[in-house]
Amino acid sequence: MAAVLTSDAERARRRRVRNSAILWALVAAGFYLSFIVLSLVRAAK
Amino acid sequence: MADAHAHDATHEDHDHKPHGWRRWVFATNHKDIGTMYLIFACTMFFIGGAMAMVIRLELFKPGMQWVDPQFFNSMTTMHALVMIFGAVMPAWTGLANWMIPMQVGAPDMALPRLNNFSFWILPFAFTLLLSSLFVPGGAPAGGWTMYPPLVLQNGASFPMLIFAVHMMGASSILGAINVVVTIMNMRAPGMTLLRMPLFVWTWLITAYLLIAVMPVLAGAVTMLLTDHFFGTTFFTAAGGGDPVMFQHIFWFFGHPEVYILILPAFGIISEIIPTFSRKPLFGYEAMVYAVASIAFLSFIVWAHHMFTVGMPLAAQLFFMLSTMLIAVPTGVKVFNWTATMWKGSLSFEPPMLFALAFLFLFTIGGFSGLMLGIVPADYQYQDTYFVVAHFHYVLVPGAVFAIMAGVYYWLPKWTGKMYDQALAKWHFWLSTIFVNVLFFPQHFLGLAGMPRRIPDYAVQFTDWNMVSSIGGFGFGLAQLLFPYVIWKCVRSGTPVGNRAWEGAHGLEWELSSPPPYHSWTEAPSDALIARGASH
Repeated sequence: MAAVLTSDAERARRRRVRNSAILWALVAAGFYLSFIVLSLVRAAK
Repeated sequence: MADAHAHDATHEDHDHKPHGWRRWVFATNHKDIGTMYLIFACTMFFIGGAMAMVIRLELFKPGMQWVDPQFFNSMTTMHALVMIFGAVMPAWTGLANWMIPMQVGAPDMALPRLNNFSFWILPFAFTLLLSSLFVPGGAPAGGWTMYPPLVLQNGASFPMLIFAVHMMGASSILGAINVVVTIMNMRAPGMTLLRMPLFVWTWLITAYLLIAVMPVLAGAVTMLLTDHFFGTTFFTAAGGGDPVMFQHIFWFFGHPEVYILILPAFGIISEIIPTFSRKPLFGYEAMVYAVASIAFLSFIVWAHHMFTVGMPLAAQLFFMLSTMLIAVPTGVKVFNWTATMWKGSLSFEPPMLFALAFLFLFTIGGFSGLMLGIVPADYQYQDTYFVVAHFHYVLVPGAVFAIMAGVYYWLPKWTGKMYDQALAKWHFWLSTIFVNVLFFPQHFLGLAGMPRRIPDYAVQFTDWNMVSSIGGFGFGLAQLLFPYVIWKCVRSGTPVGNRAWEGAHGLEWELSSPPPYHSWTEAPSDALIARGASH
């Protein structure tokens, strides 16, 4: 069997999981807001 | 590996598995959540199917027979929303939940509580949506595309529709984030990206698509909401807004959505055909690049859904040619599946039968899609039953057959039991015959000029509508076999070993059948991963 992950590695992985989840949530929120802003800008013309 | 099994066998009481209703309501285990997604999807499949029966019953003969036009329009609208967001997408998420951790060598999904939350949003969203059938003015009837200004004329059901769509979107986005994070962070050491099974690859790309486009749909329906209730005029021409802009935004979501519905199917077919051909998948890397190319192209073809709305010639040419380009990576995939079978030692168990039907019938849907992508031809086909035939060939013998193929492929792994294959073959043959009786005549109706989304039609369309309706009733009845086969398997299936199918490869087949509550509590060895990755 492959070596069991050390607790440091596990902590690092948890951090990576949390950070990447937050990153993708921000990307999703960015798409949501940017299309509304895009529509506002277009409507203002 | 033996160590891992011994470990699992002696640690069953360490599962901390809650019992009774708590196991499901507070579920954080990927298999439990996957099971709930699949049961939910199956329930929605039959609710959406019942709506399709109402549609086909009304269209059996010309003239108004059973329902009033408003209710008919509600049925077409709700059928689409239920099938797309309630049946097919949750079914894929259910399969992803079940299989991705097992296939990448992880104990569970990366974010189990988020997983629970994203599932439990769905029953509330669909209760809200379906309850709109009982409010004054009836359920939404403006089509699943929710085009303004028509959709703004809905009564009390309008805010229910908008809130339900927001909740479905939130569920999909959270589920997609979970999939991306799991695949990128939870793979066992040695499970490199190009060793991942195709199902994991296709889901990874699907999840990126979901994160990119579901918020766009949410933005569009938020603007519909503010137009309706807060005096904005995003899409109201009288206030300086532009209803066509909604169509652009909607289809910027809508076309990638089509690939969200079908890319995981490509993954499943790429798992099944090698297993029952007893050969590695032909051109594994080409398949990965083809899926990525299709996903990229899906962002630059949206306006082929709206050629007749009016746009500059250059835009029409651009969207026509970019649509044609999708045929290239799709052709690569069909070629590779065929080449995988070439000189293989084929056998025709139910998953393989569904996969083969997918190959033939999805390709028919692809060809009619190419026809629709040609601008001058599309002017004739737009909003006719030809379009209905096209997307149903893509979604029913395409996505739905692939889901059934996946369930029949992995059910022995999930339950530890083999189902009644004879009954599953009956399900396959009845489904395949009737799905063609149902949808193929709709090509003729569309080419002859029958418009879609109408409860009544001219008498010259009667014969093919009758044939189509008979196919619809037969297909609907045949689907009752599906839950029966599963129920019978769970109750009294014959026990199977770890590798339920002789030619199966992949980490999931190294686990016991049924697999332990936590899939890989210790990372699988490199040798095991290499053996599973013999694509």
